[in-house]
Amino acid sequence: MLKLTQTEFLKLRRRKFILLMLLAALLMPFLAIFYFRDIRETGIDTIQFYKWTAFSYTPWIILPVVLGVFSTMLMYDEHQNDMLKQLWIVPISKTKYFFSKFIVVLSYSICFMLLTAGLSVIFGTLPGYITFEWSSFCYLLKKCMEIAILTSFAILPLLAVAAAGKSYIFPVCLTLVYTFLGFILLMVNMYLHPLSSMTAIVMRDIPGVVLTQTLNIPAAFICIAIWCAGSVVLAILALGKRK
Amino acid sequence: MKQLLWAERRKLRHSKIVWIAVFAVVMIAVIVFAEGQFVFKGSRYIDGAGWFMTAAQSLATFFVLPAVIALLGSYMICREEQEDTLKSLRLVPVDEAKLTVAKMIVAMVFSILIYLLLFVITFAVEAIMHFGTLSIQTVWGFLFTYFVNGIGVFFAISPIVALVARMKKGYWLALVFAEIYSFAGLFASMSEILKIAYPITAVFNLSGYYEATIGNKAISLVILLLCITLTIFILSGFNRNSKRIDVQ
Repeated sequence: MLKLTQTEFLKLRRRKFILLMLLAALLMPFLAIFYFRDIRETGIDTIQFYKWTAFSYTPWIILPVVLGVFSTMLMYDEHQNDMLKQLWIVPISKTKYFFSKFIVVLSYSICFMLLTAGLSVIFGTLPGYITFEWSSFCYLLKKCMEIAILTSFAILPLLAVAAAGKSYIFPVCLTLVYTFLGFILLMVNMYLHPLSSMTAIVMRDIPGVVLTQTLNIPAAFICIAIWCAGSVVLAILALGKRK
Repeated sequence: MKQLLWAERRKLRHSKIVWIAVFAVVMIAVIVFAEGQFVFKGSRYIDGAGWFMTAAQSLATFFVLPAVIALLGSYMICREEQEDTLKSLRLVPVDEAKLTVAKMIVAMVFSILIYLLLFVITFAVEAIMHFGTLSIQTVWGFLFTYFVNGIGVFFAISPIVALVARMKKGYWLALVFAEIYSFAGLFASMSEILKIAYPITAVFNLSGYYEATIGNKAISLVILLLCITLTIFILSGFNRNSKRIDVQ
């Protein structure tokens, strides 16, 4: 399994586009410069700043879309280059193959959120909007890691769909719809969709966040677990059928 | 040109992407309908006549449709290279400039049709729920808004599709760029200046979704025309390059 994961990481070196996608982490910290410009005089709370740059649209929209496209790329490029046949000949366990891909997605998610955390601090301290404090920085890092890990689990259904099909069009369109659904369901029912459940878990201890629904952390974890289990079964069955 | 358009249309008929886009539009309508169940001040959003048609177009434009349209445009262009049919087309010989223009026209028609499909779905739901309160003027107004949104969104994202045509294998980039580009429109709409100048929100100024003065509409129109000029500029550079490669 370790060798398989190592191979997956080695394959990534050839894909420059993956590094380009990390630029998406710039969006919210960059927009924060304009958003907080007018309220600068009244004083900006550090956590409020981080809430805008790292805890809001980044886990709701940006990170899921980036991870969805990344998952599709991981699976599609191997279909396109007809590499799967060679891998099955080795032979490689299909379950291990799927989980090695998941580990790559998880690592990418962590890198993305660490970059978001770093950029949040830079874009906050350089214009003088916030002052650097170790306590708030540690809180930011903790929350970013939480978001990174939970989002990669919440995105497992997309990885499974990408593994099940041969084309990139359907998984990519599904990524957009899936992310949009997760975002909208935040207002309706947080415990139906893994992405909205992830938000419920992340938002549980962020100061100043008022939720319209009662917070039920076990229900959020159960929701994510059910979707993940279903996705793993789907992916393993689909990969098993493939020759 | 007519033949190229016919051929592109035929190619799309064999492709699943049209059905996947239809699926995306239906899902958008379902998701926005689900949002309409949210109770605010004692009544559901969906109970307000016209809410569904209003919310669906803005949410679809900020979150999903520009990326889907960019994906289709870039897919149509990249597939020739990817499926190795470009060589055969060059042997015919097909003028690559005309071929790209034909693909762009088909993508624009697709963009309009996608928005009209969303209109049909939202109108059908509105008609079932609030038949008595919907006037013909309101419906025509929405039809016009959706139609202009279809054209405008294509104009706004066309530089991204053109860049993909130049890079050939950058369809992933087109998708991520288009998604971030349309999503950033959500924040551009908070500023009075950006609302007029940012291409995605400029579409809403033109279509009448945002209330705008004639002057603001004119600026938005100029912005969108600049987008299409940039597209033509990128494509003309690309065609010059490909001709140079052919000569070599």
